[in-house]
Formats: sequence, structure tokens, C-alpha cells
Amino acid sequence: MDFLTVTNELLKGFGQNCLLFALTLLMAIPLGLVISMGSMSRIAPLKVFTRTVVWIIRGTPLMLQLMVVFYLPALFFEVNLERFHAAVIAFVINYAAYFSEIFRGGIEAIPKGQYEAGYVLGMKKSQIFFKVVLLQVVKRITAPMGNEIITLIKDTSLARIIYVAEMLLTAENIVAQKVIVWPLFYTGVYFLVFCGALTLLFRFIEKKLDYYKG
Amino acid sequence: MALLEVKNIKKHFGKTEVLKDISFSLDKGEVLAIIGSSGSGKTTLLRCINFLETPQAGVIAVGDEVLFDGSDPAKKKDKEIRKNRLHFGMVFQQFNLFPQYTVYENLILAPKLLAKEKLKAGETYMGESSYRAAVDKIKEEAEQLLEKVGLTEKRDEYPCNLSGGQQQRVAIARALALNPDVLCFDEPTSALDPELTGEVLNVIKGLKSSDSTMIVVTHEISFARDVADKVIFMADGVIEEEGTPQQVIENPQSPRTQAFLSRFNRFSD
Repeated sequence: MDFLTVTNELLKGFGQNCLLFALTLLMAIPLGLVISMGSMSRIAPLKVFTRTVVWIIRGTPLMLQLMVVFYLPALFFEVNLERFHAAVIAFVINYAAYFSEIFRGGIEAIPKGQYEAGYVLGMKKSQIFFKVVLLQVVKRITAPMGNEIITLIKDTSLARIIYVAEMLLTAENIVAQKVIVWPLFYTGVYFLVFCGALTLLFRFIEKKLDYYKG
Repeated sequence: MALLEVKNIKKHFGKTEVLKDISFSLDKGEVLAIIGSSGSGKTTLLRCINFLETPQAGVIAVGDEVLFDGSDPAKKKDKEIRKNRLHFGMVFQQFNLFPQYTVYENLILAPKLLAKEKLKAGETYMGESSYRAAVDKIKEEAEQLLEKVGLTEKRDEYPCNLSGGQQQRVAIARALALNPDVLCFDEPTSALDPELTGEVLNVIKGLKSSDSTMIVVTHEISFARDVADKVIFMADGVIEEEGTPQQVIENPQSPRTQAFLSRFNRFSD
């Protein structure tokens, strides 16, 4: 099997990784924001519930969560989820939990004085959040979000455990069929390039937000 | 008739009584200085007047409009409080400028939001009934305020590039941009290096000559003596002594006021 064919085959697999990556980001960021609101809520039962859920999600392996989401509905409710759909659900829930903690940290780090300054200027709570606090939160969470998002693209290969046809599974199949081992190692290049691009992107965002301090 | 009337304000945090029955009044154009040691309740009083804290009891009135009445729950609604806050301006010890906005943007942000809201509700803003005209007026006034606090050339700087004294002057201009009836200062120079306090105090002095009504919580006794029309000395949540600067600062009657001021009087001329 020549280099070009392998490159093409792996690229097809990596398409699945990228799709999973994009869908997770798209849904986990808003869900994470909702969860962070829950874990900062003044309603005690809601806060305890949310924080317990976050503890469970962050306290168990993503690989296990993938299996739970895929196999449990089939075992108990005879609902057969599509493999890729199950992967998306597990990833969104898992990453939303992590994002929510980053958001919570970012929001809680904003000095009380910023809110009070808004209040005495007659601003509404929503105006203070969107016009004053939000950009400061974004600036504070750029670095940890960059970390998390770089981890996400690599984590997508975990979907292999429920046989989503992502790149690592593709590579393993090639290795098994053709008795060559290099395609497995070659997958690293794809991740490296992708993470390199992400790193540049986040460096750019940080630079964009560098015009002020505080 | 007094512009500001504060009656029987009581505030406690848990079991700690911070304000025990505070009453005072202030006429238009008067400057009130509140002095006293840390923990005497000065800042809490100012925060109650700005509705950043809710007193358990008491009345706050501006002109003939009652803004707060501890016995009337309708006065504690968010919307009501937000409207009432506009009678007051507040300058904080830590400035609290919005770091992502330039000096000029800090000044016009809140007035623009308010103008939009008022015009949407069918009211006017500064006599203007179109948003564009209102914004023009807001911008014009912002430029005038910058000139007033001597920061026209810092108009497009971000707060992080300003000295503490300059930041506090921006904060004063920002508070004035909403034309409050009473401007409150919470220890406006306590976070500043000694050589920077002068420029801020001079701006406040300048406001006095333009007839602003002000409440200044301060540790600058000589400033209180020179600028205030009225001085209140607070201790343990009560007004221990009140009167003109001559009465309270130069000739205090209460032993506690005397003790507090003894250090100052010993060093001053």
C-alpha cells in the first residue's frame, strides 16, 4: 500500500475526528455556559445538583462515558444509537462539564467593583454582563480554553472504543490487513498539524485581547 | 428644603450592627465630608445611599421623592432601585473603570445605554427625542467633562496606561456624565500615592465651585476642613458629632472626636 493511498484513507478517518471536534465545540460551549450558571446559582439544590453532575463527569474516564452512552440505551431500552451520535453526546456532555468550570473560574475572577460600577451607572444586570464583564471573562479564559480545545482534538480518537470510523481505527485496520506498521505512527502528523494551527489561532486571539490589562 | 434627606437608617450584617439610626440632610450645592476611623460605618452609609446595600430600616429622599423606605417593599424592587440609583453618582476607592474601554468610551457607555432605553420607552433624554441627537449631546458633554478633569489628551488611552490619579479623575467624569443630583466619593484618594492625591482633591474642589452637591467619605482631614460645608464624624455606626468644619474639626466637643482628631491637630498648623 503506497504512501498516497494511506494518506487518503487516514484523511477520511481524520474527517470524522474533525467533525466530532466541531460538533462538540459547537454544543459544549453553550451547554457549558448553562452548567456554569447552575453551579454559581443562588438556589442551593440546583447548585448542589449541578456540581454533583460535574463531579461525576469529570471524575470518570471519557472512554467509559462513551461506552455508557452507546451500550446502556441498547441494553436497557432497546434503543440503538448510531455510533457517531453516541460519540457526539458523550463528548458534548464531557467537555461541557470541563468548560463550565473554566467559565465559572473566569466569571468569578471578575472583581465585584466592575459590577458595582455598572450598577451605580444605572446599568441593568444583563447590560453589565454583556457590555462590561463578558470580554474580560473571554480574555481570562483564552489560555485554559486553548488547552482544553487542543486536548479535545486528540481525545476524539477515543471514539475508536465504540468503533466510530475515526483515524486511529482506520490506521489499525490498515496495519492489520497489510501487515505494515508505519500508518499507525503516521496519524500523529495529522494531530500535530491540527494542534499547530490551533496554537497559532489562540496566540492570535490572545494578541488581539492584549490591548488592555485587567 | 433639603435636597437629600436621610432618616433613621439602620443596617446590620448578621449580628453586627453597622449603622445604628443615622439621619442627616444636605442642601443643594453643599459638600458633606464624613470622617471617622475604619469600621465606623462611613462606607456602608455611602453604599446604602447608592443602593449597593439595602438598609433594614430608614428613609432616603431626594427633593420630595421618597426613594427608599425600609417599611415599603415596593421600593426594594430591582427596577425601582435601578431608577433611583440615577439620582446618585459614585466614585469608588478602587476607581473601577472598565479596562477594555478607552477613557472616552468609559464616559459614554452608560449614558448611551440609558438614552436608548429611555427613547424606546417614549421618554426624552437630555431633552432630545431622537437617538442620534441624544448621542451627539452625550459625546459633546463627555468632551466637556474630560476638559473639566483635565484629561482631554488622554481621551483615547486605556485605563491601564493611566496613573491612579488620572484613573480616579476619569471615574469622577464618568459619574458626572449621568448628571446625578448628589455625587458620592468613597475614600477617593486612599488608593493613591501621596503625590497623586492632590490632583484628585483639586478636581473635587473644582466641582464645588460649579455647585455640585457632594458627599465625600475621606481620611483627608485638611481637605474636609477646607472644602466641606458640613462635617459628620462617625464612630461605631452612629453620628458622634456633626456641624461646620470649624465646629467639628477645629473645636470638637465629643471626647471621641477629640481623640480621633488629636493626631491630626497635633501635626497641622
